[in-house]
Amino acid sequence: MKKDFKYVGKSTPRQDAFEKVTGQAKFTDDYYFPGMLHAVMVRTKSSHAKILNVDYTRLLASAENIIVCDHNDIIGSKKVGPIKKDQPIFCYDKIVTPGDVVCMLVGGDIQELLQSRELVDIDLEELPVLTEPLKALDIDSPIIHSENGNNLINHYPLRKGNVEKGFSESDHIIEQHYSTQLIEHAYLEPEAVIAIPLEGKKGIKILGSIQNPHTTRKVVASVLGLPLTKVRAVQAEIGGSFGGKDDTMNILAARAAVAALKTGKPVKIKFGREESIVESYKRHPYNLHYKVGFTKDGLLKAMKIDITADGGAYSSMSPFVTWRTVVQATGPYQVENVCTDVKAVYTNNPYTGAMRGFGSPQPIFAQESLMDEIADILGKSPLEIRELNGFKAGSITASGQKLVDHDINLITVLNEAAIKSEFDKKWQLHRKNKKIKNFQIEENNNFLLSHNEFVEPNETIQKGIGLAVSYRGCSLGAEGIDAAAAYMSVQQDGSVYLISGLAENGQGLKTTFSIIAAEVLGISPDHIQYLEQDTGIVPDSGPTVASRSTLMGGGAVKNAAEILKSRLKEIVLNFWNVKNTEEIIFTENEILLRGDETKRVSFQEICSLAYSKGVNLAVIGWYKGPNVHWDEETGQGSAYFTYVYGCQVAEVSVNVATGEVYIDKITAVHDAGKVINKLGALGQVYGGVTQGAGYALWEEISSFDGKIKEDNFDQYLIPTSRDIGEIEPHFIEGEDIYGAWGAKSLGEPTLELTAAAISNAIKNATGKRFFNLPINLEEVLLNRKLKPTDLKRGSTN
Amino acid sequence: MIPEMIIKNPSSVEEVLQILSNHRTKNKIIAGGTDIIPGFHINSPRFTGIDVLVDINGIKEISQIIELDSYFSIGSSVTFSHLQASSLVREKLPVLYEAASGIGNKQIRNRATIAGNFINNAPCADSVPALLVYDAQVVVKSIENESIVSLQDFLEFPYKTILKNDEIITEIRIPKKNAHLLGSFYKLGRRRAVAISRISLAVLGSVENGIFTDFRLASGAITPIGMRFKEIESFILGKGIDRDLLKEVAVKTGSKILEVTGLRWSTPHKLPVLQKTLYQLLVNNFLENDEK
Amino acid sequence: MKSDIELNINGTAKKIFVEQSKRLLDVLRENFLLTGTKEGCSIGECGACTVVLDGEAVNSCLILIGQCGGSEIITIEGLEKDGKLHELQKQFIDKGAIQCGFCTPGMAMSAYALLLKNNNPGIEEIKEAIEGNLCRCTGYKPIIDAVHSAVKELNDS
Repeated sequence: MKKDFKYVGKSTPRQDAFEKVTGQAKFTDDYYFPGMLHAVMVRTKSSHAKILNVDYTRLLASAENIIVCDHNDIIGSKKVGPIKKDQPIFCYDKIVTPGDVVCMLVGGDIQELLQSRELVDIDLEELPVLTEPLKALDIDSPIIHSENGNNLINHYPLRKGNVEKGFSESDHIIEQHYSTQLIEHAYLEPEAVIAIPLEGKKGIKILGSIQNPHTTRKVVASVLGLPLTKVRAVQAEIGGSFGGKDDTMNILAARAAVAALKTGKPVKIKFGREESIVESYKRHPYNLHYKVGFTKDGLLKAMKIDITADGGAYSSMSPFVTWRTVVQATGPYQVENVCTDVKAVYTNNPYTGAMRGFGSPQPIFAQESLMDEIADILGKSPLEIRELNGFKAGSITASGQKLVDHDINLITVLNEAAIKSEFDKKWQLHRKNKKIKNFQIEENNNFLLSHNEFVEPNETIQKGIGLAVSYRGCSLGAEGIDAAAAYMSVQQDGSVYLISGLAENGQGLKTTFSIIAAEVLGISPDHIQYLEQDTGIVPDSGPTVASRSTLMGGGAVKNAAEILKSRLKEIVLNFWNVKNTEEIIFTENEILLRGDETKRVSFQEICSLAYSKGVNLAVIGWYKGPNVHWDEETGQGSAYFTYVYGCQVAEVSVNVATGEVYIDKITAVHDAGKVINKLGALGQVYGGVTQGAGYALWEEISSFDGKIKEDNFDQYLIPTSRDIGEIEPHFIEGEDIYGAWGAKSLGEPTLELTAAAISNAIKNATGKRFFNLPINLEEVLLNRKLKPTDLKRGSTN
Repeated sequence: MIPEMIIKNPSSVEEVLQILSNHRTKNKIIAGGTDIIPGFHINSPRFTGIDVLVDINGIKEISQIIELDSYFSIGSSVTFSHLQASSLVREKLPVLYEAASGIGNKQIRNRATIAGNFINNAPCADSVPALLVYDAQVVVKSIENESIVSLQDFLEFPYKTILKNDEIITEIRIPKKNAHLLGSFYKLGRRRAVAISRISLAVLGSVENGIFTDFRLASGAITPIGMRFKEIESFILGKGIDRDLLKEVAVKTGSKILEVTGLRWSTPHKLPVLQKTLYQLLVNNFLENDEK
Repeated sequence: MKSDIELNINGTAKKIFVEQSKRLLDVLRENFLLTGTKEGCSIGECGACTVVLDGEAVNSCLILIGQCGGSEIITIEGLEKDGKLHELQKQFIDKGAIQCGFCTPGMAMSAYALLLKNNNPGIEEIKEAIEGNLCRCTGYKPIIDAVHSAVKELNDS
């Protein structure tokens, strides 16, 4: 049934926009508490070493105001982690990566604290450093965590059909290797947290730039050895997260909490950009090996996939990130025979964890490059090969899941994107099967050109177009328990408090949820006051990850609003003495009776009446996803209960003389289900595409023996206002039965496709295919990365 | 971390020189601060131990762009935004205008000064190649002396110039006879905006009847400091312009740079790209104009 | 060394006794509690600390208070006049130019500085004015739209 929406699907400005645009919004560092102390981290310069001794004698002799916190101050868990407890709050036995912290200096004067760090004498025994993930499982490689036995974090196999048989039935078999790089979330606000000891036995309050307050609470409670109720985690305004303010923030919160309890005073930890980049986790670099068999008609027969993810020094979310990879590694294509192995390994590199995309941008880059290659071999267009193999209603995924219960809109988004971008016409026009003259730099010894190796100015810009498609499992899938809560309380004047267990990270959740509640109750969204995220007032709803908040939290908000509405209807029923609740309409802050114009009462009046009658107008709404299951041995099962589909088309200009790639336009077509807030949805696309473009072309953390060179924005280059041309979003709203009116996921799909589409566009422009991200100046011209030999910087040196 | 220092705000060059002549303190001039303050932030050894910062922002006599009989005078504390906004610079010194427009970002250009850029003498200082092709001279003053040196002689090594602790640059002089020449500035960065130059080039010259009658070429970022290529400049003079000549110039320049820098990690990309972009720059500036 | 510094902030004359080498950013945040101005990189690359100093957008992390004597400074807190939002602020809200909001004050100040100099900037000029303001959420497009709309509104009224 098509529903007419009053607020859903329209453009609603953000609830928190006024405070943010006037400078009044309070981020963590904007808070100050009387007596508050600061804490600074003490790190070593090592990437892998045994800690022999830590000596505070010099420090304590010269700086009497400084309090030291280290692992000796921890009563509870000394090591934490979402899956494996392998990450120390303060290192005590080993250093495994340069971001590691041995101890923390606490005091009132930051300058003094910073200067005093060198007074801590740390005696280390250097160990061999492992930075190559592909060597991590070699017998002679150093072991990062001895308690783990080896460097394997996890291994997920997936077996469907018989790949050998599939290859034997194939007319063509191709094999390719791809790699993707380590990148940084680059949220604009660096990490900050304040721990405030509460009076008496009340425990502690954490206020911070925290993505998942309930996870923070759990980690802090385990470190302090306190019950969950003694730790109250409250979110300040958060200056971006993108998956990045989880583990790092939990650990910082725990450190601040330890110091706050030790000193009895509020303790603030605030990172500068360099510290943020050095200590925080990043996106996994992947090595991907694909072998694909297909018929002369282009039908995919078999895929054998081997993927190694660099988990860096700690396991963090690696098992979950790589699980999504194993589910989606074949892309949105029906393949009879699949054999996938995905491994995550330890190295001494910066550790990797959750980041917007979460294990999907890497395989999408590989598989969407591959699909274009197959099309090329067969003389087909990128559209044809995808139409032939792409998921349709009833298709079976690599994990054996039959796609039902929602619009399987892959081909729809593909065609829509192709039409909107005039893909076919442009692709044929720009297509280059031959090598462009003098594009690839042939590396010789003297680097000097002969006269026939130059590029004329009028031939230097080559245009191209490329596309990529994806499907994405919504929410956590078989990763974990999937349920969410929302608390809603209607006041006697008709104004409403709302909060869900999921967190506002800048994506606009408060507004989206307010719209959902407003739609159900027929009141204006600005009658709803969304509360600050606080673990003390709302149930744990799992983490705000996996583009799950609109789906899961939205479902819970709708549930809460519907419960309230039914209670209010009862009141109205008695008030008007009518029988059929079906005829009661909530709209525009009023309640009407269908077919009877005399029956009209304000929402406020009914709320007031309900209050006077002692009706409970405070409810907890709940939404639990359908059960999913997974067989760890075979990688078979219904991985996620629903999916979204997307297609992005990139149009680029490549300078074949310099290797520069400029993005002229990205057309992004997404089926995220029902769009709740158009303004917010558009924002997700613009932002996600822009991050995806940075991933494709510029961003990379290179490390020297695990040490990071790009530790600030002069070296770590994210897109500026001048780096991307046009972005044109379109939404296809497939019908789904889950969540709030079938509203699903959008945040991550917008980012995961972009790099693959850009790479395919560069191929179309130049005839040359790229296998390694980022496709930067050197990669474009030399097919390899050039790495500086030292850590020197640019203009400030 | 910003160390505690005394900041003085003199209102005349005279006053600056008085302050600088006090050798009991370590004094440093600050104008835009866009290199010095990030330097403090990362505890750069180049900026440690300073007792007195001499802020020259309030000195009017060194913040003007003036046309005189034989030269243009650009005050040392003229910002890049000021250069960008100056119609004189845009019309008469287009290479400098282009270089100024691509430096840093808006906020940086609003503060960073022309002299600060080359006194810092980072290899990637964009003003340097542009000023070098214009044969810019700098006026250096101390309490006892005033001297005029060519910019090329002023620049010594990366991050080092001949400027002494008690000296200030007051102005940059660009001979007016250079104003009629054709030329442009080229910069390759990793990003479209706010990018540190990986290659910068400035060319300036004139072609009459298909023959180069004047030619200047300077580089930045690819050489340890910005430099002119005098041998190549004289090689090209008097020669008939055609694509082969311009390619030869590009290769000779590449060869010279390789000689100066030796093999660097970036050479496999930068050197071929330098030759290709220089060739294109020359074609666009001299050949196409000539053919029109 | 500490000294007295007089300056005008958001239209009000102020005098403070402060360490001269303290950054303008820290003075605004700590001495004047104007915490709308943010710190994102400390080296002038992200623009979160942008304020308008004597009519020009500047990074307040790269200016020492000892350099600011006699200056007029406008921060994000000074855009709202008599309880009325500046047109830029209204458009930032309406066009979805804000997500996490951390870049927003600096972004708005860069846009404001542009409008002080140019009452009819085109899209490219807007992009240039905010090139030094990094945003990781919005992809810039809604911000550019907001500034563009504000220009139109201001010129129409």
